[in-house]
Amino acid sequence: MSHEGRRAAARHERGIADGAPVDQAGPDRTEERFLRPFAVAAGDPGGPASGGDLAPLDLLTLVVAARTPGRNEWLRPECGTILRHALRARTVVELSAEVNLPVGQVRAMVARMIADGSLQRCGPSRPLARKDILHAVLVGLRSL
Amino acid sequence: MASADSDTRPGEPEAIPQAVKIIIAGGFGVGKTTMVASVSEITPLSTEEVMTEAGYGIDDTEGVEEKTTTTVALDFGRITVSPDVVLYLFGTPGQNRFWFMWDELAEGALGAVVLADTRRLETCFHAVDFFERRGVPFAVAVNRFEGATDYETEEVRKALDVAPEVPILLADARDRGSCRDVLVALVTHVIRGRSPALSG
Repeated sequence: MSHEGRRAAARHERGIADGAPVDQAGPDRTEERFLRPFAVAAGDPGGPASGGDLAPLDLLTLVVAARTPGRNEWLRPECGTILRHALRARTVVELSAEVNLPVGQVRAMVARMIADGSLQRCGPSRPLARKDILHAVLVGLRSL
Repeated sequence: MASADSDTRPGEPEAIPQAVKIIIAGGFGVGKTTMVASVSEITPLSTEEVMTEAGYGIDDTEGVEEKTTTTVALDFGRITVSPDVVLYLFGTPGQNRFWFMWDELAEGALGAVVLADTRRLETCFHAVDFFERRGVPFAVAVNRFEGATDYETEEVRKALDVAPEVPILLADARDRGSCRDVLVALVTHVIRGRSPALSG
């Protein structure tokens, strides 16, 4: 059993013994776990790259690769992975799930990659009014 | 490096849809992730946000009175509702101390579904209050758990003290049709709210 597993089990037992509130258990996977520290040498969460002059990056901000992954990417493998996944327009939150890094980290990397020209922000091909979006959602949901 | 995307070169024009979102909120373990999975066209994806903070009494920091790093999972699904619009469904983190993520999730959302469990209705009070205060339109879906007493929707409305126009539906988070009905009711409510003159 891994160290992490033992700690999780101990935590779980302790939670029960202490009569912990219901939000300590249940099917949702928000239970705490230990993270192996990692380093990603790209992006500066507090720096000017976090959105640049443009609006800050939202979970649903769409980005697309502006170049193919190059040879230098072995130094920054996460950037190469992001570029490969962003060959088609992807939202920040999808990239986060696909490259398996926390949203905040991916947001910072994406901001940096937009700044250096590796990625481009993109808007919808056919921008719609809110009314038309709601109508499309309603029709789409009804046909589920 | 063969992938489904390898035939698309960067910069090649493609139809990029508008991305919109609906939030699925509610107390811990009420069925939010189940609901997302029931209607999503993809296996729900999961990402996480890392939170670093000084433990403030909730975290078990016995013997380690320093900063703790915890993660909070964020599950989401996707429905391509039209060639131009893709709907994302986000399940909110259930624990109260992850409220900081709700603000970002609520920003720009079309609306929200508050999932309620009648055995512990109070767990969704926070969500109802959150969306009311921010003016985010929402619908309440009462997830029918086995062993729970069936309540009338009006009893739930009274207990939650929500406005008469807020849709309240009995639902089964495991059932695609039931979840679809909840989402349709929510979007209908949003459309009515935007054009009161046309409703009725």
